[in-house]
Amino acid sequence: MMKILVINCGSSSIKYQLFDMTDESVLASGLVEKIGTESAIIKHEPAGREKKVIISEILDHRVGLKKVLDLLMDEKEGVIKSADEVSAVGHRVVHGGETFARSVVVDSEVRRAIRETFDLAPLHNPPNLIGIDAAQANLPHAVHVAVFDTAFHQTMPDYAYMYPLPRILYHKYKVRRYGFHGTSHKYVSQRAAEFLGKPLEELKIISCHIGNGASITAVQGGKSVDTSMGMTPLEGLMMGTRCGDIDPAIVPFVIAKEELTLSEVNSMMNKHSGLLGVSGISSDMREVMEAMFDGNANARLAIDMYVYKIKKTIGAYVAAMDGVDAIIFTAGVGENAAQIREKVCEGLTFFGVDLDRDKNGMRSKEIQRISTEKSKVEVLVIPTNEELMIARETLALV
Amino acid sequence: MANIQHIAVIGGGTMGQGIAELIASKGFETTVIEQSDELAKSAYQHIEMSLDKKLAKWGITPAEKKLTLSRIKVTSDFSALKDADLVIESVYEDLNTKIEVFKRCDELCRPDVIIASNTSTLSLTEIAASTNRTDKVIGLHFVHPVPKIPLVEVVRGLKTSQTTVETVLKLLSDLDIKGIEVYESPGFVTTRLIILLINEALYTLMEGVATAEDIDRAMKIGYQFQAGPLEMADHFGLDSVLAAMERLYREFGDTKYRPAPLLKKMVRAGHLGVKTGEGFYRYNEDGERVDRKEEQSL
Repeated sequence: MMKILVINCGSSSIKYQLFDMTDESVLASGLVEKIGTESAIIKHEPAGREKKVIISEILDHRVGLKKVLDLLMDEKEGVIKSADEVSAVGHRVVHGGETFARSVVVDSEVRRAIRETFDLAPLHNPPNLIGIDAAQANLPHAVHVAVFDTAFHQTMPDYAYMYPLPRILYHKYKVRRYGFHGTSHKYVSQRAAEFLGKPLEELKIISCHIGNGASITAVQGGKSVDTSMGMTPLEGLMMGTRCGDIDPAIVPFVIAKEELTLSEVNSMMNKHSGLLGVSGISSDMREVMEAMFDGNANARLAIDMYVYKIKKTIGAYVAAMDGVDAIIFTAGVGENAAQIREKVCEGLTFFGVDLDRDKNGMRSKEIQRISTEKSKVEVLVIPTNEELMIARETLALV
Repeated sequence: MANIQHIAVIGGGTMGQGIAELIASKGFETTVIEQSDELAKSAYQHIEMSLDKKLAKWGITPAEKKLTLSRIKVTSDFSALKDADLVIESVYEDLNTKIEVFKRCDELCRPDVIIASNTSTLSLTEIAASTNRTDKVIGLHFVHPVPKIPLVEVVRGLKTSQTTVETVLKLLSDLDIKGIEVYESPGFVTTRLIILLINEALYTLMEGVATAEDIDRAMKIGYQFQAGPLEMADHFGLDSVLAAMERLYREFGDTKYRPAPLLKKMVRAGHLGVKTGEGFYRYNEDGERVDRKEEQSL
């Protein structure tokens, strides 16, 4: 029986899920928070049993993971008998730079290459590597696999990933588009092909991963050919607190006028903009929508801008692929906000999108078609599952 | 190497507030110790004001402000030192005052705890000699405004151990601060150079070469200073500038460090800069300039 542990490490957190890959069922999942303190919190959820919350001193990721394994092997409530049952560990790594176009088994060469990408993802990649170290220390016999958020997009053609800046910046610092949410875009486009009963190789798909962070990817023949996030996850769509595309000249202008430091202007664009910045209410779509229904003009504007940007990007990718067979909505907003989906699709009738309003209004945890029979383009809502995708990628390499 | 989670800052003045804000914002439990409850409370209020300013400039989010403040405790009770994993002293720049503080820290702190001084001009070796842990005394000279300037001069006293230096450098890297190692010498690099520049700016002003505004503007535009030397003096506090100048003068015995007469005069008049509302320029209670004329622009 093949069991795979999937790990996603932040600077002071570990998210985990243990899969039984014979049927892809989840045996347990959970989260360790506030690592590095005397009052770290473990929220552990064995499948079908009561959730457990434990507070204890966890000073580093290695100890954190040890505690997680102890919980998984607990005599009474454990889901495995020994650590040897975990045959592989799948690690989420945010940035794979140009080195990684697919998932890889971690060895010393891979570790060195991940370290070289620290500059590109200073907040995410260092804790990701710490997580790999911690897991290798605790599970030395398991195969460790790194699954990169950027890998899926390495198939983009050069004219899609290069920026029209002096080329030296690309050679010196690898300034280019990388794209993110790759694991999710890949997963939902595969699911779409299964659902439609057509080979992925023959499909043109536009995948809209709309959560707190959001990106859209043009997937042609199963390959990413363009994506809206760029060198960092700031580019592209308007998001919960991120501005997405703006005129780059605004940045030096605001720095000069407001006498801002680089870290202030960065924080402004990443944490104070988007839905929150325009509405002045919240970064949470539900709260902004509520305010809009109450007649708040700023909330209305924020949502109009948000929808308009999604629509424009879909239009651009229809042009990029010379057509589209299916549009997918996924992630928090994409899966749950029917009104947003409706507003986006309203403007896509020209190339044959015909939304079924009743189906769009129904909530489901399963994959769902929300376009009518006569729609030329299939519109699907597909719940994403990045953890499962990481487990599958890992399984493929064991 | 010691696991540092809780840092005590002694002295809640301008520098102490800045140091506390910085270390709390990076996730460390922070205790500010002042002479009285009133001063402790005031330090806390000033830190909150500083965070509010950052929030207004989009530098942090409301959640980050709350989180930083939740990690800061203020007290006048020195017994709080027994829980500290590291101490940073930032009291008034006076040898006897500092020695008193170090003696007290030495009594109250665990024997493995490093005690750092934010002194800019005093002898670290002399301060260390007042304790029974000379190997664990080190200088950490922060630059004002602390939360904005990612630089610290790391000063070794004669007996400071290598382990102490390494522990401190590791801490600084956790704080995203560049540590520059310097030898014990009055004013080290930063204070020695900047104080001299301010003093010379004062002579320039006194001699009527240019107005205060133009002296500052010349250096800001001409040499890309973020603030002009006189504006800087207002922010440091003119009394602190004078004290540093006098100490350099005494230590080096060189007349180039003689304080400008105008500096002494202004200190005597109580025009100490931002903290008294008036120095070379005028300020409101939030420390913002209130005399700035609309600068000519296109």
